[in-house]
Amino acid sequence: STSSVLSTEKDKSTTSTGSTNEVASKSPEGAAETPKQKLLNIIGNMKVEVTTKKKFQQLKTQEIKKQATDKLEGLDSRSSTFQGPAEDAQRSKPLNRELVEAVSAVASSLPRSKEQTESELLAQLRRHEETTDKQRKGGTINIRNVISEMSIKRQSPAQRGVMISNRISLAMEEDGQRLKPDRLSSRSFDSRRYFLSLREGKRLNIFTKAPPETESALKTVSSPTIWDLEFAKEIAAVTDQPPRNGFEEMIQWTKEGILWEFPIDNEAGMDDDAEFHEHIFLEKHLKDFPKEGPIRHFMELVICGLSKNPYLSVKQKIEHIEWFRNYFDEKEEFLQEM
Amino acid sequence: QDPTAAHYMFQDDPYLMPRNSANARLLSLSKESGRNAAKYIIKQFPQYFDKILAEPNVPCLMPVTLTPQLEGVNEEALRERINLRMVKASVDLFDQLLQAGTPVSLETTNSLLDLLCFYGDGESVQEEQREEKEDLEESGVNASEQKTPKRPLQRGPRSSGSRWRENNDAERIFKIMPERNAHSYCTMIRGMAKHGASAKAYDMYTELLNERHKVDVHTFNALIAAVPFLKDKSPERWELVKVFLNHMVQQEVPPNLLTFNAVLKTLRRCGGIGRSMAISVLKEMEALKIEPSLATYEHLLFIFYRAVDLGPSSIISEVLEDVEKRSFTAQDPDDANFFATAMQVCCDLKDIKLAYRLNKAMEKGDNWKFLDMSQLNSYWSKFFSLLCMMEQIDVVLKWYREMPPSLFYPSPKNIVDLLQALDAANHLEAIPSVWEDMKLLGFNRRQDLLEEILSLMSRDTHPEETQLAFAKCAEDIKNVHEQSWREQAPLAWTGSALGHVAVLFSRVGRTQDAWYVIERFQQANRIPTDRVMDEFLNCAKQTNSPDEAIKLVKLAVSLGLSSAHRLKSRAEKEFELSESQR
Repeated sequence: STSSVLSTEKDKSTTSTGSTNEVASKSPEGAAETPKQKLLNIIGNMKVEVTTKKKFQQLKTQEIKKQATDKLEGLDSRSSTFQGPAEDAQRSKPLNRELVEAVSAVASSLPRSKEQTESELLAQLRRHEETTDKQRKGGTINIRNVISEMSIKRQSPAQRGVMISNRISLAMEEDGQRLKPDRLSSRSFDSRRYFLSLREGKRLNIFTKAPPETESALKTVSSPTIWDLEFAKEIAAVTDQPPRNGFEEMIQWTKEGILWEFPIDNEAGMDDDAEFHEHIFLEKHLKDFPKEGPIRHFMELVICGLSKNPYLSVKQKIEHIEWFRNYFDEKEEFLQEM
Repeated sequence: QDPTAAHYMFQDDPYLMPRNSANARLLSLSKESGRNAAKYIIKQFPQYFDKILAEPNVPCLMPVTLTPQLEGVNEEALRERINLRMVKASVDLFDQLLQAGTPVSLETTNSLLDLLCFYGDGESVQEEQREEKEDLEESGVNASEQKTPKRPLQRGPRSSGSRWRENNDAERIFKIMPERNAHSYCTMIRGMAKHGASAKAYDMYTELLNERHKVDVHTFNALIAAVPFLKDKSPERWELVKVFLNHMVQQEVPPNLLTFNAVLKTLRRCGGIGRSMAISVLKEMEALKIEPSLATYEHLLFIFYRAVDLGPSSIISEVLEDVEKRSFTAQDPDDANFFATAMQVCCDLKDIKLAYRLNKAMEKGDNWKFLDMSQLNSYWSKFFSLLCMMEQIDVVLKWYREMPPSLFYPSPKNIVDLLQALDAANHLEAIPSVWEDMKLLGFNRRQDLLEEILSLMSRDTHPEETQLAFAKCAEDIKNVHEQSWREQAPLAWTGSALGHVAVLFSRVGRTQDAWYVIERFQQANRIPTDRVMDEFLNCAKQTNSPDEAIKLVKLAVSLGLSSAHRLKSRAEKEFELSESQR
């Protein structure tokens, strides 16, 4: 709940503004821009850092320093001495008013009770003011020593916004599921606002030279080694799932050769170099035979049979005819005798 | 997509459809082992399969002749054996060649070294590697009773089965090689890194540098992946990785995707340094225009979310943004782990919207292929648990109707989550249907689930018909405890279970059953709670059976219960007892 979150942040009084922002971020996106932006701007102007406990001390000293510089300025120029505290007071007053307005705008857009949230927020702000007053009055004497040893951490407003929003989202996490802001909206504006982001970051700067292209292209000429083959198989196996339906199974079977490819190709698996006319029109091989007579007759019958034979290849058919030719050549002597 | 059907793999006989995840796994494994057995038969007895009846022939179903054709002690024969991946035979032939004095060319020796380094010391298996996914290798091998020794699992260097023996064949051959080139060194390094001899790999690498050979990118990848085995402390590990990367720059070896994935994999084991450096690595990849693969994202998610509880950061949503846009192809064996890790992260962050986005990313293009069957089950199971935690009950129930059994089978944890969600939504009358599902899934003997369901049912009183339904469930549960079914011994009663069942029976006025259960208390050496006693008395009052009331009081007295007195007085007050009964 809101109050528990607020109470946990009570220790870090300077982070109270974080809680106001938390409320702001809860409200719907469109309307919340103005109060949220306003608050953030206000905070930016206030130069308050929202940090973790570790940096609390640093923060305190920084605040002291800030107040102290004012004081120092005041000390140096007597005339402005009175203006110093007055300025501070003045500065806080309009702040307060703006803040109150923002707080009321935000509280009205919340699903919870308006008055309760308003009062809680205002109480927190008052507490914040008290602590700043306290610190303002504290130690002007040791400032110089403190300052000389200190190193101030500077933050750009954007980064400050990042840290603030991050605290918001941390708080939101405890708050339960329904009040989660829609921080997963894919606006790039939001993705800037977190500590760790894949978009920002520096590179390693190890591989800074442009890679030589020609060399690598030449290298892949050598035949793939067993490493490459096995790696390729492994990669293929990553996405190799059993088929999800009958169609996928049929696709897989077709690839393996178990299923025929459609539309059916009659000559699948059969490699026949010759065209059909070479099978059928075999007369041209009969050139060497006599044009008439029983031999020719016989050979024409042979050709007729061969042309109807689907099992022999063209070469085999030609061989048949050759065999007959040789046979008749040998027997020609006998025939002449007859 | 038919939501009530199981995965296509299992659609054969409706009776055989698997009912829970264990059965599903068993069925898929048995299918695969059947195929492997068939292949084994064909391989062992090719003489029975020599008739080629199909035209055109289907080569993948025919026995494959893998015996080397060339005989004789010459280099050609050696090459052939290497191609056929016959490790032992190649080594023997090589030795013979050397003894005979014939020089073996560098290339052949290198390919022999490749073979040896890849397989470590184990023998390769000469059959087709996996067609189906899932880790079926062990059961497949067992089922077909192969005599080949334990196959080195080819999932990558981490899970290699065989280890690098001291002075094994590869090292021996390497030492006696008259000349070695870069390839020899590289392949030795890769082999050593793959099989766990990382220190040796590193020594070999220094040797290689001394000889001023050129190293190729795969060797670097293997070395980077082996860094966690070389150094123990995270800063040292990171330093060593940087050393390797700088060497790559010096030698002008361009890094590829696998290089960066290896770096991230090593960073996973580097703790805090990993977190601070991982983004820089990613930026480097972007600068070199190398597209990250799913494995890259998986390593990033692991580094930022799984190792330590860091609190919210936007990394996962940015990762999802990138993943949503693309349909991935596999480039790294570790790609398969992405979706599982991502879903685990969503569950840890308790963010249901992220999970929805992840689902959409998975359905895009070919991304679904990256989840295999067992991972799919655990993915959806975690998603369902997240749903139960975060969503309204009607959404949960809608998913519950649709998802099993087509997408996943609920695990016991899912059932518990579902029951709690029903409880949170005051929807307890759905419990009997959940009980039916439980019986279907085979969970009706799990003590924890029974306790949960019984306590939910008996906690409050409900309208009449719900109460009747509850009593029916209670009866089922009682039967589970009482009767032994097939080989399963009856489940032992626990005290709370007895109490709940008694209460449920009492509420509907089934006095006999309730009394039966209460008797069981003594048998099981348990004491019924006061609530049980009171409920029973109420029941007895309803059904007007003072005998039962007296029996109860007697039991209470015999058990020495403190409430016996109170019960007695109550019995006297509420029942009209005859004098004998007093």
